[in-house]
Amino acid sequence: MEKLLEVKNLEVSFQTYGGEVQAVRGVSFHLNKGETLAIVGESGSGKSVTSQTIMRLIPTPPGKIKSGQIIFNGEDLVKKTDKEMEQIRGKEIGMIFQDPMTSLNPTMKVGHQIMEVLIKHQKMSKSAAKERAIELLRLVGIPMPEKRVNQYPHEFSGGMRQRAMIAVALASNPKLLIADEPTTALDVTIQAQILELMKDLQKKTGTSIIFITHDLGVVANVADRVAVMYAGKIVEMGTVDEIFYDPRHPYTWGLLASMPSLDSDDQTELAAIPGSPPDLTNPPKGDAFAPRNPYAMKIDFEMEPPMFKVSDTHYAATWLLHPDAPKVEPPEAVKKRLRKLSSNYEKPVVVKESE
Amino acid sequence: MAEKQKLIEIKNLKQYFNVGKGNVIKAVDGLTFDIYKGETLGLVGESGCGKSTTGRTIIGLYKATEGEVLFNGVNVHAKKSAKELKTLKRKMQMIFQDPYASLNPRMTVADIIAEGIDIHGLAKTREERMQRVYELLETVGLNREHANRYPHEFSGGQRQRIGIARALAVEPEFIIADEPISALDVSIQAQVVNLMKKLQREKGLTYLFIAHDLSMVKYISDRIGVMYFGKMVELADADELYRNPIHPYTKALLSAIPLPDPETERTRQRIVYDRSQHNYKEGEELQFREITPGHFVLCSEAEYEKYKTMYT
Ligand SMILES: Nc1ncnc2c1ncn2[C@@H]1O[C@H](COP(=O)(O)OP(=O)(O)OP(=O)(O)O)[C@@H](O)[C@H]1O
Ligand SMILES: Nc1ncnc2c1ncn2[C@@H]1O[C@H](COP(=O)(O)OP(=O)(O)OP(=O)(O)O)[C@@H](O)[C@H]1O
Ligand SMILES: [Mg+2]
Ligand SMILES: [Mg+2]
Repeated sequence: MEKLLEVKNLEVSFQTYGGEVQAVRGVSFHLNKGETLAIVGESGSGKSVTSQTIMRLIPTPPGKIKSGQIIFNGEDLVKKTDKEMEQIRGKEIGMIFQDPMTSLNPTMKVGHQIMEVLIKHQKMSKSAAKERAIELLRLVGIPMPEKRVNQYPHEFSGGMRQRAMIAVALASNPKLLIADEPTTALDVTIQAQILELMKDLQKKTGTSIIFITHDLGVVANVADRVAVMYAGKIVEMGTVDEIFYDPRHPYTWGLLASMPSLDSDDQTELAAIPGSPPDLTNPPKGDAFAPRNPYAMKIDFEMEPPMFKVSDTHYAATWLLHPDAPKVEPPEAVKKRLRKLSSNYEKPVVVKESE
Repeated sequence: MAEKQKLIEIKNLKQYFNVGKGNVIKAVDGLTFDIYKGETLGLVGESGCGKSTTGRTIIGLYKATEGEVLFNGVNVHAKKSAKELKTLKRKMQMIFQDPYASLNPRMTVADIIAEGIDIHGLAKTREERMQRVYELLETVGLNREHANRYPHEFSGGQRQRIGIARALAVEPEFIIADEPISALDVSIQAQVVNLMKKLQREKGLTYLFIAHDLSMVKYISDRIGVMYFGKMVELADADELYRNPIHPYTKALLSAIPLPDPETERTRQRIVYDRSQHNYKEGEELQFREITPGHFVLCSEAEYEKYKTMYT
């Protein structure tokens, strides 16, 4: 499989009155061509900052890329000038935001916004661009696109605006599409339509997708692989089956257990994760999740766990995977999901720094 | 629920908005249902189908265009003395979707929570007032040190707890929660839902729970009503609704819920609803009819006969 994107040890901070917010604290992952990686995690864990950094959209200052590389198509985006980035954004990398009204221009007809991209990046003629814009609107499921192309964003319903934004993002045939909570504000029926649409387009165009969401149902639906973030780090990463059927990190357990399941009639309490996420101006020593982790051991409060490899594709940063750690039982709701995966190693192995 | 006592009775409730040029939006278009004391009634349906408007009209924020709402037998929208109105307002409270926008940023948490206590004169002295605030903070899982802070110092889940404490301050019997957890993190959602359930057990509260997360609605609700374009198309016990949905819109809605299980998702078959699929004849009358005990569906006479044979 060919890698389209490789993020290596990325660190991003913001200077604020209260001090330096360490929003992303050493994130590494890769994305293959045609693949969908879902990023899930607590609010404030750095999902949006990570993806905005890839697009080089974080405001600097107060933001700063402190270290790391973002290798896209063989080139390091961290080193690109703003001008070079402008060429890459919108052409090679498209982005869909949570709130369509913030990224669609309210004073410009929807069709023109799509045409602008086509004329600028694909060097199309005006009439060709208009035709393609109509085609794109039809593709994203907007009824009567010939008419809609001449309307303004406020004349669209919420779900239609979201789809229009997807059409803008797709106009340039990007190699990478970053979708930050693209369906969170939508109804399940429209959400389902949009997810189907994205998968369909991916099949046709081979686009790679980074999909940020906090809905684990959506993750199960769209993802090939999943990265779980907590306090600025990836704490677990694996194929979608590994994360849902064989999760290893207690934060992932907490996430999975706090969701009600549709088929259970049981009225037991949901297993909420107690407390709130840590302050990133002053991240705790050791494992940042330890204060909220019922499985925390003494070492969790003192030393950060290394990354352990459970299979070729499955990583988790928790001391529970250390050979000397006591065997613990995950929460009931998680135990019900567990399956034996044949791809697992006999024993987890520590990942060396250089890997 | 052994004895089913009606707390709220909604009869043919309509709420139309006049949006100019003779255009009328029928946001709520003839709802009839009851809410029993101590139960949680979930309300679901697509964006714009009228869920919030229903809640706001029930609580009296809007005057109904037609129909009536009875609270403990008292008509919410009928003319009342100032005193009666105040009592009614106290007994029905609302929790809002956005924990950021619904708290005044310039007020301390104590003043936000105590606003209702002050309006209704529920505390005789300053000490008693603060005592109540401390109790309420503890009830919702915060502590007294939080009383003198401002909303922006809290996380989303904590702010939603402050909103709940504010609603509880006036000792309501009925709470309308309009998407109370939609803006929160999954792990924090569970905290708030557990808290709401606990308060219900302890205080015998009745909830109307509006949401678009269908798995959470099923978890918290005793019964669920499904709305579509201002009308209720189906109403049943929560488990019954998910097990035996009858109205094609409900089936479509349920078939679209993504479940946290990759295998189910890979084989998902989504049902699409199209209003025209009913093939209603000119003048055919739609009514909310009981198909099996406690399970109501909006349907024509012909559909009723069909559903009856299919589901009983
Ligand atoms: N412009 C900024 N200035 C200061 N801090 C910022 C800025 N942008 C983000 N942060 C901080 O960086 C951290 C990570 O934020 P980020 O938006 O990436 O979270 P997230 O995982 O996307 O959360 P959510 O699920 O709520 O969208 C947070 O602590 C946030 O407060
Ligand atoms: N004050 C108002 N004036 C005019 N139209 C309104 C008003 N309030 C609501 N509407 C309209 O009434 C309909 C129902 O709106 P409502 O807010 O009740 O929907 P909802 O089911 O709560 O949707 P959501 O899930 O998006 O919150 C919509 O078409 C809306 O645009
Ligand atoms: Mg975000
Ligand atoms: Mg609403």
